[in-house]
Amino acid sequence: MLSQSAPKFSSTGTQATRIVGVLTIVVMTWVVISGLVFTPADVVQGESVRIMYVHVPSAWIAYLAFIVTAIASAFYIFAKRHSLGFDRVAGASAEVGVMFMVITLVTGSLWGRLTWGEFWQWDPRLTTTAFLLVTYIGYLAVRRLDGSIEQRARRSAVIALLAVLEIPLVHFSVVFWRSLHQRATILDPNGDVKMDGLMLFTLFSGVVGFTLVFVWLILHRQRTMLLSDLANQSGLDAAILARQNESVSN
Amino acid sequence: MDLTPRPESQAPKRRRWMPIIILSLVGVGGVVIVTQFLSSAIDYYCNVDEIGVRSGCDTANRLRVQGTVEQGSLAKLNNTTNFTLVFNGKSLDVKYSGDPGGVFQECVSVVAHGRLVNGKLESNRIEVKHSNEYEAKNKDRLEKSGSAACSQVQG
Repeated sequence: MLSQSAPKFSSTGTQATRIVGVLTIVVMTWVVISGLVFTPADVVQGESVRIMYVHVPSAWIAYLAFIVTAIASAFYIFAKRHSLGFDRVAGASAEVGVMFMVITLVTGSLWGRLTWGEFWQWDPRLTTTAFLLVTYIGYLAVRRLDGSIEQRARRSAVIALLAVLEIPLVHFSVVFWRSLHQRATILDPNGDVKMDGLMLFTLFSGVVGFTLVFVWLILHRQRTMLLSDLANQSGLDAAILARQNESVSN
Repeated sequence: MDLTPRPESQAPKRRRWMPIIILSLVGVGGVVIVTQFLSSAIDYYCNVDEIGVRSGCDTANRLRVQGTVEQGSLAKLNNTTNFTLVFNGKSLDVKYSGDPGGVFQECVSVVAHGRLVNGKLESNRIEVKHSNEYEAKNKDRLEKSGSAACSQVQG
């Protein structure tokens, strides 16, 4: 159940989020400068390779976000005390994950036009990624269906635990099927990473930077969700109070 | 205190339609994605060395043929691009009407869509695959190899 007491914070920021925010700005500034200025062009792809510093971290963070959603949902369902805090983390993470998934598809589409010659292909990797995005948009829609906060938490937790099973399908689609999309570079099963040193470092920095963005957004979003839930709850409390007053006056 | 339920008319229910509409669109979107994926898989996907060997990789079907553009084989004449695809020791001549986009060049992997006519693939669509290798551009090596992708192949 929600706490009936008023929230103890007047904003969603804390000392921790401010530190994460500053770190995010520092790392992302480095990624932008290194990605656009310091890193070399690729021998085949030329300047278009720079899209990688946004595309790849976005995809990884989208995966991470959906996995966090599943873990938080599992905690909500299977823990003895069904804490709505887990539900809010799950919902916040899914929202951020959808945002990063959209960034992944848009940047991938631009990269595809420059390298493959096509914005879009019904290729296994692209198709499964689009399907994953549609699934999580559905998840977010389910969270907004009519019902109590507990109903919302239960319904969405079940969907999150099923939807996360799509992630291995997306990731290994380039292995299972013949795909236009290239296979993994960093997560090469043989550990043979074929990437220029500075490109690799910038990509790694991008992953760190995007992870910090993810953490910062989650911390704020789950707090705004708490405020929203408390506002809804206070509306219910006010309605009950009004009803009580009606009966007293009668 | 009276806590009996109010009559229906006094407690109007406001159903939220937007999530239901979005869920319906999500369902339609999912069906479209799966349908498009399955219909795009109608073309047989063959490697060059599977032509005439693997079931379906023959003149009877429209094919998607994967291979690498052979170094020195690329010739552009008027609005036609001719080149040879090689894969696993086998080769296949390709005639493409138009100028392939993307990073098309010698030594890159491509997927050519088309039909086999007299042992040659007449293609109307080329997609360029790029490898999972990322290497800094090096002017000296480009001059030696003549093509960026071939410099990567030569290492």
